[in-house]
Amino acid sequence: MLSSIFGSLFTTRFLATVIRLSTPILFAAVASFIAASTGMVNIAIESIMTFGALAGILGSYLTGNAWAGLLIGLVVGILTALLIALFSMRLGASPILIGIALNTFADSLAIFFLYQIAGEKGTSASLPTKTLPVVNIPGIQNIPVLGQLLSGQYVLTYICWIVLILLFIMIYKTPLGMRMRACGLNANAARTAGINVEKLQIFSLVLSGMFAALGGMYLSLNYLRIFSKGMVAGQGWMGIAANGIANGNYGVLLLSALIFSAFRAVSIVFSSSTIFPVDLVAAIPYFAVFCFVTIASIIRYYRVKAGKVEEQ
Amino acid sequence: MTEKKAKSVNLSITNPRVFEVIKMVISILIAFAITFVILCLISKNPVNALVTILTGPLTKKRYIGSVIESFIPYAFSGLAAGVLFKSGAFNLGGEGIFIISGISVAAVACNALTTSHMLHPVLCILAAALTGCILMIIPSFLKAKFGTNEMVVSLMLNSIYSGVAMFITRKYLLTNTTSTIGTKDYLATAKIGYIYEPLRISPCLLLLIAATIIMYLVMFKSRLGYQIRLAGTNPKFAEYSGISAFKLAIVTAMIAGTLCGIGASCQLLTQTSFYQPDKSLVGIGFSGMLLSMLGRNNPIGIVVAAFLIKYLEQGTSVLYFVDRAIPSEIVAIVEGIVILLISSQYFLRGFREKKLLKEGLEKDAK
Repeated sequence: MLSSIFGSLFTTRFLATVIRLSTPILFAAVASFIAASTGMVNIAIESIMTFGALAGILGSYLTGNAWAGLLIGLVVGILTALLIALFSMRLGASPILIGIALNTFADSLAIFFLYQIAGEKGTSASLPTKTLPVVNIPGIQNIPVLGQLLSGQYVLTYICWIVLILLFIMIYKTPLGMRMRACGLNANAARTAGINVEKLQIFSLVLSGMFAALGGMYLSLNYLRIFSKGMVAGQGWMGIAANGIANGNYGVLLLSALIFSAFRAVSIVFSSSTIFPVDLVAAIPYFAVFCFVTIASIIRYYRVKAGKVEEQ
Repeated sequence: MTEKKAKSVNLSITNPRVFEVIKMVISILIAFAITFVILCLISKNPVNALVTILTGPLTKKRYIGSVIESFIPYAFSGLAAGVLFKSGAFNLGGEGIFIISGISVAAVACNALTTSHMLHPVLCILAAALTGCILMIIPSFLKAKFGTNEMVVSLMLNSIYSGVAMFITRKYLLTNTTSTIGTKDYLATAKIGYIYEPLRISPCLLLLIAATIIMYLVMFKSRLGYQIRLAGTNPKFAEYSGISAFKLAIVTAMIAGTLCGIGASCQLLTQTSFYQPDKSLVGIGFSGMLLSMLGRNNPIGIVVAAFLIKYLEQGTSVLYFVDRAIPSEIVAIVEGIVILLISSQYFLRGFREKKLLKEGLEKDAK
C-alpha cells in the first residue's frame, strides 16, 4: 500500500498533475516578480486572484462567452492594481497595509457580488457558465510521455508558458526591462538617468494585476469551472514566497513555484489513501513553503554574515 | 503651561489630533455615501435599508446583547494585531493562533481538572494564553533573527495550525454523535456565565476592559510602549538608540499571542458548547487586522472599532429579515473604504496645509 503510493509519485500522471497545479502558482510568482522588479510591493496577489476568478466567471455568465469573461477578469485585475497604485503612490498609504486590507476583505467582497448575481454565497455552481477549453496538440498528442505532459493541458496553461517566455525576454533582453530593473535597484539613480520611474512602476503593477487575475481565472474558468469561496487557498502567497526565495533570479523563481506545485500534487496523491491523517496531508504544501522560505532566509543570513553577498 | 493652553484652544484642522478625527469622520461619511449608492442599486427601499442597518440593533435588547457578546473576541484579536503593527511587525499569524489555542481551551474544558466553577474557566484561559504566547513567537523570531518574510511564514503557519487543530480534534477530542468535526461538550464547570443576562454581559467584557486599559497604559505610558512605537515609526533610529529589535519583536509577539489566546477562550466558553476547528473561530484573526487598521493601532480605537463593526453587522442581519437582497458582507465594503481612506497619509492633507499656510501668514502679518 505504502509503496504503491510512493510509486505513484514517479509516474507521468503525477508530473501532469504538477503541471496542472503549477499554472496559478506560476502566474502568482511572476505577478510578484514583475512588481518587485521595479521596487514595488504587491502582496494583494491573493485578493486579485479572487477578484479575477470571480469577474471571469461572472463575465462569462453575463456575456455568454468565456473569452469575454477572460477580458473582464483582466480588466478587474488591472483596476485593482491601479487602485493599489493610486493609494500607495498618490495618497501615501503603505502598500503592505493596503495589501493586507484587500486580502482580508476580498472574500467578503467576492461573496457580496456573487450573491447579487447568483443568489448564493458559496459557489457559482448555479450559473450556467461557458468555460475555456482544454487544448490537444495534434502532433505531440501521440508521443508517449511528452504527449501526456505537453498536450491536453488547459488553454491558460499554454498562455502561462507563453507569458513566462515573453516576460523573460522583456525583462532581460529589452531596454524597457533594463530600465524597469534599474528602478528596482536604485530608483533615484534611475530618475537621474532620465527614466520615468513612476510610469514604469505603475506599468509593472498593472502587469502584476493582469498575471494575478489570469492565475485566478485559470482556477475558475479553466480548472475547476466554477468560482467557489476560498478557492485561491494561499496560492497567491505561494507565488509571493517563490519571489522571496528567488530574490530577483528568474530561474529560481520558476523552480520554487514548480517545487511548491509538486508539494501540492503530493498532498493530493497522499489524500487519496487512508494511511496518512487527511488533515495533516492537506497542510503539506503550506509546511513545504514554510520550510523553503525559512531555510532560504537562513542561508541568505549566513551568506550576508560571511560577506559573500551584500545586505539588502 | 502655555503649550497646554494653546492645545486646548486649537480646535481647528491644523491640530493633528483634530485633523485625524475630521479625516475619520469624512472617511466614514464617504463610505456610507458609497454604501448608500450600492443600496440604491440593489434594494427597492434604500433609505429604509440604511436606517435599519444603523438603528436595527437598538430595537431589541437581544440584538444589542448579541453585539456586546460577539465583539469581545474580535476586540482581543484587534488588540493583538494592533501591538504587532505598531511595532512594525507584519506578523499575520493571529488567525492560526486563534484556531490552535481553541484546541487548548477545548482540551482543558473537556477534562475535569477541577470542580471549581471559578477556577476551571481560568485554567482554560491560561492554557490558551500560553499556547498563543509561545506559538506567536515563531514568525517574529524568524523575521528578527534571519530576516525571513514574516507575512508568508505566518500565513503558511495559519494553514498548518488549522490542519493540526483538525487532526488533534479528529484523533483525540472527537465526539461520535455529531456529523460535523467537533470536540466533546465542555464540562459545565468550564462555561463562563453571565453577570447580567438580558444584555449578555459576562466576565469576558470585564476582561476585555482590563486588557484594553493595560494595553493603553503599556503602549502610551510605559518604556516598553515607547520602544514599540519608536521601532514601528523609525526602526533604524530605535536600533541606534540602543533598543534591541530582537527582544522587542519577541516581547510584542508574546503579548499579541496571549491576547489571541484570551480572545479565543472568551469566544468558546461563552458562545459555544463544543469546539469546531473549521467553524468556531474562523476569520476572527483576520478581522482583527482590519480592526487594528480602523483603530489606527490605538487600543481604545480598536475596541471602539470592533464594537461599531459588530454593531453594523448586527444591523445588516436585522435587515436581512426584511430585505433578502442585502447580504451582511456589505459591512466589508464600508470597512474597506474607511480603511483605504484613513490609511492614506495625503488624503485631505491639502486642506490642512492651506489652513496652516494661511495661519502662518496671519501670524507674520501681526
